[in-house]
Amino acid sequence: MERLKAALEDFGRMLLFAVEMVAWIFRPPFRPELVLAQMAFIGVGSAFIVGVTGTFSGMVFALQMNFAMKQFAAEGYVGGSVAFSLARELSPVFTALMVTGRAGSAIATELGTMRVTEQLDAMESMAVNPIQYLVVPRVIASLLMFPVLTMLFNALGYAGGFVMGVYVARIPIGPYLAHTQEFMNVSDILHGLLKAVVFGLIVSVITTWRGYAATGGAKGVGEGTTRGVVASSIFILLADYAITFVSVGT
Amino acid sequence: MIEVRDLWKSFGDNHVLKGITLTIPEGQTYVVLGGSGSGKTVLMKHVIGLLKPDRGSVHVGGREISALHGKALTEARQLFGMVFQGAALFDSMTVYENVAFPLTEKRRGERVHPDEVRRRVIEKLRVVDLGEEVLPRWPSELSGGMRKRVALARALVSDPQVVLYDEPTTGLDPITTDYVDGMILNAKRALGITSMVISHDIASAFKVADRLAVLYDGHLAAEGTPAEVRESKDPYVQRFLSMWFEKQASEDRSA
Repeated sequence: MERLKAALEDFGRMLLFAVEMVAWIFRPPFRPELVLAQMAFIGVGSAFIVGVTGTFSGMVFALQMNFAMKQFAAEGYVGGSVAFSLARELSPVFTALMVTGRAGSAIATELGTMRVTEQLDAMESMAVNPIQYLVVPRVIASLLMFPVLTMLFNALGYAGGFVMGVYVARIPIGPYLAHTQEFMNVSDILHGLLKAVVFGLIVSVITTWRGYAATGGAKGVGEGTTRGVVASSIFILLADYAITFVSVGT
Repeated sequence: MIEVRDLWKSFGDNHVLKGITLTIPEGQTYVVLGGSGSGKTVLMKHVIGLLKPDRGSVHVGGREISALHGKALTEARQLFGMVFQGAALFDSMTVYENVAFPLTEKRRGERVHPDEVRRRVIEKLRVVDLGEEVLPRWPSELSGGMRKRVALARALVSDPQVVLYDEPTTGLDPITTDYVDGMILNAKRALGITSMVISHDIASAFKVADRLAVLYDGHLAAEGTPAEVRESKDPYVQRFLSMWFEKQASEDRSA
């Protein structure tokens, strides 16, 4: 009961932190150079791991679908299934989980270290708000880069699936592409990108909060980072379910 | 310059400050002495508005810091420079970027010319006896004493009226401690600023203080000039100071 109360209190404080962060987004001075630096770190820096994950996910998924569809002599549908699943589910969720592991953990550790070594207090004492200076650029960069990385995952995932389906499983290219077009709508892509934006918000707010609220030296920073990564991952999956349920229903 | 009136602060059941009242006149160095966990840092964080009191008030330069929020508090903080215990240099920035930070960030609206920023950074590094060769170095490449000096240069760069020192000599060897004491005295003499130092280093405290106070169990156990505090009849103060005076006396005898 005590732990539940503490968890709820912590969640409440994080929400207040998020509200304060939103207020700081609109207050000058604006620091576009810090947003660009974070876009480079979160976006460009994660492109390799997201690209590799995307390519292999598409390849494996195409092979699995081919194996399943063959039972019904419906291999032509592999391309459509791969594209559809990537766009709506696999790309946004896998991208968010990979970026949480790579960039989210780094964000929590960096801010946590700054907290326990009084760098955040120092910043505040110099009349610079740490939420505005450190948190806002990371959140904006996440909101912008999660969809971009998700599109990268989509593109490389589909390409990987295409190579496997057409050149390895020998599915005729005509039906493969035709069924992709038949299955897919722009709305499927947008559905995935909407998820990416929501996941970007979740990951950036949770991991910056865990760093910002860190206490107690190196151990506290480590614990904060672990909690940030675990909580981000769980909330990504919960939000994924909620968005899917609302848009598709039962 | 600084007036703390009947300041109370608790964290849960932990009552840290229980009615602190003190006045720091302009241009003086005021040292708050106390053991570990006596609430010294909490007191200092109230002075700069990093913490809000449960009761009581803090006035700096005629403004009630403890009642300010948001933009007004941010503006009021421009009166201060603060030197943190572990120096708290930003480790993702070079020495130059660290010292320039208050100028490039705080005064964005005023757009200080980059040449002027550089001139002032070098000028303040000179006050703490550091040359231009340290500018491109990273905090991780500096010794403890050098970090403290860079931290003081950063605190001085925006020409504050008040400088706060959080345990400036903790963890330093005797020679560096002596150097840091000299640096505090020099900053006061050269720039005429008001200083508040919190410390448990009795030798340093008596060396730099115009006035000092001993904080114990959330109260000021003694307050006054170094000579007055030395004569205090408070048992805690006597115990706190006696160890150091005895040590000093034995050192004098053996010398």
